[in-house]
Amino acid sequence: MKIPNRIKLLIACSGLMLSALPVTAHHSFAAEYDSKGLITLAGVISKVEWTNPHIYFYIDVKDASGSVVTWAVEGYPPNTLKRTGFTRDDLKLGDMVSVTGYKAKDSSSRVAGREITFPDGSKKFAGPAGGSAPPTDSK
Amino acid sequence: MTSSPVRYFAIAAFSGLLGLAATIPRAADGKPNLSGVWQGGGVSLYGDAADGTQRTYAAPVNPPPKRESIPYQAWAETKSKTFTPTDDPTLRCLLAGVPRITTMPMPLEIIQTPKEIAIAYESFHAFRIIPINDKLQHPKDLVPTWMGDSVARWDGDTLVVDVTGFNDKTWLNGTGSFHTEDLHVVERYQLNSDDTITYTATVTDPKVLTKPWITGALLRRPPNTRVEEYECIENNQDVEHMQVKK
Repeated sequence: MKIPNRIKLLIACSGLMLSALPVTAHHSFAAEYDSKGLITLAGVISKVEWTNPHIYFYIDVKDASGSVVTWAVEGYPPNTLKRTGFTRDDLKLGDMVSVTGYKAKDSSSRVAGREITFPDGSKKFAGPAGGSAPPTDSK
Repeated sequence: MTSSPVRYFAIAAFSGLLGLAATIPRAADGKPNLSGVWQGGGVSLYGDAADGTQRTYAAPVNPPPKRESIPYQAWAETKSKTFTPTDDPTLRCLLAGVPRITTMPMPLEIIQTPKEIAIAYESFHAFRIIPINDKLQHPKDLVPTWMGDSVARWDGDTLVVDVTGFNDKTWLNGTGSFHTEDLHVVERYQLNSDDTITYTATVTDPKVLTKPWITGALLRRPPNTRVEEYECIENNQDVEHMQVKK
């Protein structure tokens, strides 16, 4: 079908094409994490699981009373992270990091990691922004 | 012989005559060359994303159809709402089916020959081997499967893939988008001058839909990307932490 250039431009400008595409591959973000529950944690990396379908790393966080709680941080799949420039070697056991992430809805000590701040002050994204993370696909 | 220089010359001359050769890459047989790594979603994450900025692209020359709701029959619409994200087959790392697999935010690679097209998907280790078969004849001994059976033909410069033989266990896209074994999908892959593929899928299933559902995606070439292993079941913690009330 021949479409006049004027119409093509109109279609392009209306942004029909650039509709939000899913950035999580295999599960619904909203069913597991609270997109309004963004928290920041500072802790020492105690374990790294560079695994599919998501990476997890664990940080030991001291609360006000001095007791330690281990939090699990979920991130994108390893291949996705690698393609954004975030590699397994960025997560070093014993490093103190700061993590912003979305709290789990089941009240467990888990977050969907959004941004990691490393000891040298550099930052990398580990996962989607909660507010912009659609479910697996748009219906 | 396909390797004949005379034949190559004839194809090149014919393509040139039509003004096509300069616009899209073509295979030795003159067909658009779809080979390569492509991705339907999430490409903007890749590359210089360390600062969180997402890659932006010019508007495509040939947009895919706008996403629309699935035209379910009333009873099927009601049934679709009884499902929750915990019922999603892909949550358990099962194959995503067609057309859903095309919109996953992971790359796929198309390997094209004159006689068949192979598509290797990073998502869920899916693959399709699609014979070129001008009559679009499927084998007669099909048993329902997750990805169905695919055969293809060229309609001018568009690759048309006919897919049938599905089981009823996959979803078409979002939560609850179930279908029956009568699902039939016709996909069209059109290579564009801006190095994109316009992917269109026409989905029919008379047992649950009131009319064909037309959906699609724009496939781009993700930068510096190859299809790699994705062993989804390795550490699948999400199932047990889903908070969904039935």
